[in-house]
Amino acid sequence: MTTSETTNRTTTQTAARTTTRTDAQAGARPRAAGLRHMRAGFQRGAIEVRHLMRNPKEMSGFLGNVVVALVLAGTLSKKVPGTHIPMGHLTLAGFAAYLLFQVGLINLPQVLVTEREEGALLRLRATPGGIPAYLVAKAMVMVAMAYGTLILLLGAGALLVDGPLPRDAAGWLTLLWVTALGLLAVMPLGAAIGAVLPNPREALAFIMLPAMGLLVTSGAVFPFSSLPVVVQKIAAVFPLKWMAQGVRAALLPDAARAAEPAGSWELPTIAMVLSAWAVLGFLLAIPLLRRAARRESGSRLTERHRKAGLSGAAA
Amino acid sequence: MTSTAHPPLEPLRPTGPDDSATTTAATPTAPDGPPVIQVRDMRMAYGDVAVLHGIDLDIHRGEIFALLGPNGAGKTTTVEILEGFRQRSAGDVRVLGTDPARGGDAWRARIGLVLQSWRDHRRWRGGELLAHFATYYPDPRDPDATLDLVGLRDRADRQVGQLSGGQRRRLDVALAVIGRPEMLFLDEPTTGFDPEARHDFHLMVERLAREEGVSVLLTTHDLVEAERLADRIAVLVSGRIRAYGTPVELARRAAAQAEVRWTAADGTPRRERTEDPSRLVWDLHRAADGPIADLEVRRPTLEDTYLHMVHSGDAADAASDISNEDGNGAGDGNGSVLTRGKKHAA
Repeated sequence: MTTSETTNRTTTQTAARTTTRTDAQAGARPRAAGLRHMRAGFQRGAIEVRHLMRNPKEMSGFLGNVVVALVLAGTLSKKVPGTHIPMGHLTLAGFAAYLLFQVGLINLPQVLVTEREEGALLRLRATPGGIPAYLVAKAMVMVAMAYGTLILLLGAGALLVDGPLPRDAAGWLTLLWVTALGLLAVMPLGAAIGAVLPNPREALAFIMLPAMGLLVTSGAVFPFSSLPVVVQKIAAVFPLKWMAQGVRAALLPDAARAAEPAGSWELPTIAMVLSAWAVLGFLLAIPLLRRAARRESGSRLTERHRKAGLSGAAA
Repeated sequence: MTSTAHPPLEPLRPTGPDDSATTTAATPTAPDGPPVIQVRDMRMAYGDVAVLHGIDLDIHRGEIFALLGPNGAGKTTTVEILEGFRQRSAGDVRVLGTDPARGGDAWRARIGLVLQSWRDHRRWRGGELLAHFATYYPDPRDPDATLDLVGLRDRADRQVGQLSGGQRRRLDVALAVIGRPEMLFLDEPTTGFDPEARHDFHLMVERLAREEGVSVLLTTHDLVEAERLADRIAVLVSGRIRAYGTPVELARRAAAQAEVRWTAADGTPRRERTEDPSRLVWDLHRAADGPIADLEVRRPTLEDTYLHMVHSGDAADAASDISNEDGNGAGDGNGSVLTRGKKHAA
């Protein structure tokens, strides 16, 4: 008796509450909802950046990269062939480009795959406005990661190993657009990769090898002209070569152009190639991310249950 | 009891595959408006393999409804279709009046869910995570009050990855109700809990339903949990609803068929199921013209009957008519242990 009475009473309460809520929704303010979700995205991004900075393991990973670049730059005493530019400057510029490349194509896919597997993506899918907020937050975190490392690398380079910095406003401007466009070229691509890779363990193996290959062949650590022509041709398809060239254009004096295969910085070509990769990345990432979010219905555990269900039904 | 409000339900008895049509006794009967969940002939197949064979369900506002069944019965598939995460193969489904396959953000804001497999956001602090998720909803609960509700106020500053399994699941519930949902889905929420954590969890779910008027759909493979929590139970075995009703109704029907055991004159043990054990015993006595050796009349508990259904389901829906060997074989292994759970026997 008591149970049914309680149920009836609560039922009425809920019904009343539902009515008011439906009224509020009838006045539908999708723009208010959109704003709310954007705000949630920014809040999420800010919190994740804070978590990242407090995580010693992740921070030491970034610092490690920077230290390797600095040591390499500090110990190279040769000049870039055909110029008076220290080899260390070319290496630092190359590493700066590579670190951006790594944030977009290694860190981002890894984070996506891990969070997919843990169920974060599923939780956000179950939350109104969750997926847009997630993407906004991830973009924020990646941009913070990329520029944090870049500032650290160039700042420490300039202080400790006499590394290069842009000499004038034009140089800073070039650095800004090359790095921004470079990130735009690799981040959607990284998101697309993160949407299709199976799990965090395999993900690293899948991306690490090609990324290392490009690091060596894109003129990031060795002068591009010193590489065999075939290698140059292949590397020129991928964004890293152009990102590195763009960062060199921003950091190195014009005399360094002599070491470039075209004898110039080819800024328009850099802009075109990176834009093309950005467009391609978005075209791939949007459907793949959508598919990944849609398929995120149950985790592994549910999947196991489904298989158990299948064999049970088939038996 | 609420039973007067419902139409007569199908008897709880082990049934075969061709009985599915007759066990779908779910008719909308809510006195106050449409059910929060309404499912008609829902089917699901992966390729050629059908896992749901025409499910009918009605869940009323403010009710705790348990979908009970063994692993692999199709519980998670059912819930995921209702949550809008899986595309059904066929059937008509309404959750809060909306087809979940087409539920947008406004619909999402009205449901909350707890999955068994979440282990995300491990670096976040519980309070921080809850406050963050409150920002997605138009009319969220107060995060601190919600932490109180799930008993995690003193763990608010703990990192999510450092919570125990039970605490983690309670935080999942807090996250699921932060947007004031009308409907809450709990997919096997107490799997792996120790008895105390389970007890606390049950109290919390009851409070949500009774005091806050949230409708709850809970899946479980634990009959005791379903009896303890649910206003009504649907038993799902091999993708079919085998029984449907309040715990008391189910228990009464389970006890309707008694089992009579005795040893025949030639020394062989015999068993028979009957709705009229007195008549059978009388007949036996008259036939034997004297005392019957080892005579025993047993009223099966709900647990006996549930396990019987599960086993007959496992046996690939072997027979719609439960033969003696088949039925007793299954009942035997469990019966001895399960006679303890007699609280609902008539």
